[in-house]
Amino acid sequence: MKVWGTAAARLVWVVWACTATIARAQTLPSEPIALAGGRVTVGGDISAGFGSEDVGFFDYSDYSNSALRLLRIDVSAAVKAGPHFTVLAEVRTENLGKVRPYALFLRIRPWMARDFDIQVGRVPPTFGAFPRRTYANDNPLIGYPLAYQYLTTLRPDALPATADELLRKRSLGWEVGYSIGDSTREAGVPLVTAFRWDTGVQAHTTIGMVSLTGAVTTGTVSNPLFNDDNDGHQYVTRAELRPVSGLVVGTSFARGPFVSVAAARGALGGETDANPFTQTAWGGDVEYSRGYYVLRAETIVSAWRLPAPAVPPAQRAIEGDLTAFATSIEGRYKLMPGLYAAARYDNLTFGDITGATLGTLPWDAPVARIEVGAGYSLQRNLLLKASFQHNTRDGGVLQRTSNLAAAQIVFWF
Amino acid sequence: MQIIGTRGTTIGGTRRPRLRALVAVAVAVASVALGLPASAPRMVASAARNGTIRGRVELRRVLAPMERRPSVADLGTPIGRDVPDLLRSVVYLGSAPRGAFETSDGGHAVMDQRNETFVPHVLAITTGTTVDFPNSDKFYHNVFSLSKIQSFDLGRYAAGHSRQVRFDRPGIVRVFCEIHSHMNAYILVFSHPFFALTDAEGRYRIENVPPGTYDVIAWNEGTPSETKSSTVSDGGTAELDFTIR
Repeated sequence: MKVWGTAAARLVWVVWACTATIARAQTLPSEPIALAGGRVTVGGDISAGFGSEDVGFFDYSDYSNSALRLLRIDVSAAVKAGPHFTVLAEVRTENLGKVRPYALFLRIRPWMARDFDIQVGRVPPTFGAFPRRTYANDNPLIGYPLAYQYLTTLRPDALPATADELLRKRSLGWEVGYSIGDSTREAGVPLVTAFRWDTGVQAHTTIGMVSLTGAVTTGTVSNPLFNDDNDGHQYVTRAELRPVSGLVVGTSFARGPFVSVAAARGALGGETDANPFTQTAWGGDVEYSRGYYVLRAETIVSAWRLPAPAVPPAQRAIEGDLTAFATSIEGRYKLMPGLYAAARYDNLTFGDITGATLGTLPWDAPVARIEVGAGYSLQRNLLLKASFQHNTRDGGVLQRTSNLAAAQIVFWF
Repeated sequence: MQIIGTRGTTIGGTRRPRLRALVAVAVAVASVALGLPASAPRMVASAARNGTIRGRVELRRVLAPMERRPSVADLGTPIGRDVPDLLRSVVYLGSAPRGAFETSDGGHAVMDQRNETFVPHVLAITTGTTVDFPNSDKFYHNVFSLSKIQSFDLGRYAAGHSRQVRFDRPGIVRVFCEIHSHMNAYILVFSHPFFALTDAEGRYRIENVPPGTYDVIAWNEGTPSETKSSTVSDGGTAELDFTIR
């Protein structure tokens, strides 16, 4: 929902928000609000950003908002219901739009002496390293890694009939429509979304230096769902190794039906089962920190299998899986107390497909991004960030190069 | 110098009820820091015997430790942690005897990081003291402070390692961990040696105080008491109790 008006109005709003926040910072909470003897804790994250106009749609995310022009308000709560049960919830609104339940789950610890938990409901993402630190306070820059934010041209509810139809949509993931399934133009999906959480059951344990997590969920990593649309389940696992202080090595795997029943039947007709049309994703990540620096690298490979309807002789069907490969390298260095510098390099490429008229091309336009920035803490929980992005896109119909600047103020308690 | 409130916020004009007490504390500590003669009782002749100020600090309020932020994004229950001791108060002279500043020889103090808690939660030291911050946990901590009188960031370091900071300016320093947002502590830096931490029952004892009349203040978790006056006689003991609400 777009409630912001002109660019000038947005700027005025953000300046006002920043000024008001700074002025009131002395009286705002600096720690979680604790109620009922600490059994209930409430925290919050508020970030307001203003950036260049993103006419190339490099930074748009799930809800049609640019990550660089985002006012986001998060309120989270934990309610301890005895030693074994905790209810956790988070609601979020972006750009003063609809308030959405971002998380709502029950955490069960069956045995107090064992580091083993079961979480049921709309649970935190199992896959990857970045999705659990998407809060503005945890993200040293303002943009997000491409794998978790950049909207590809794939949709679970609408499908291209031919390879050429898909190739013609290259770079249009921010708003794309196809001839099969839902005919309205909507945003495509990123490889793994950082903006929505999935629904299901999750188990987690730590044994020494190894942490293991497994989950069965309704959607997929690129399309988390609250209500199932294909009667299938995603299986997702993650293993994390912490051999020495500061070093975390992780790997993740996910596989689940991606295409909705309605779209699959629109493509193949009859009582088609959507379960074979899956997203399979593998991720590897590493983090090393020491002293004043933190280095992170993450790679994600994703493959989507779409229904291949019969095509006229002059056309070509989409053959094989549609693959995507994303790599992100990020670093942060503290220059002095309260001041840090950070940089991230991102690369997102797509596998080739062959169309009847357009030839062989990556099925979506490859994108690369370099973002550099800095953050300064006005106080412990009040942070100012500024960043600059250089985005490039190899192909497609939209702008191919974009330099974007942004500033963000972050408050949390 | 900066006086910091209960929740780490700088006291501003919006907190009227505590403003007068805070101004008194600020003036008193600043006087000590600057060695202003107007409010500084003179040390009497060397033949005079020093005395003691002792008493009790009563806390008439419920103190709760800083809670963890709701761990919504965590894949499991966070590990257990210790609860900091919030009952310790610091009692100190708001105006020190002239010459007291010359005796400060610094030395070392320790603020450990153990089970995601700073131990002790409150440290009272003199200027020139170097505080060691060992990490006794199996994971990283990152001690930092953005306090105006002494900002520092010790970076991330592992178990068994330590970093240190020398405190050369008087005032109150709030200490945090960048990785564990619920970890916090106070370091009160004095430019004279006339202060004491209370024990578990709230009792304190400031010894070796030269005879004279002093302003005395108690402080707990960012909240100062009303300033009280106490006269120490030659070799005597003055009793002074405080209440902090």
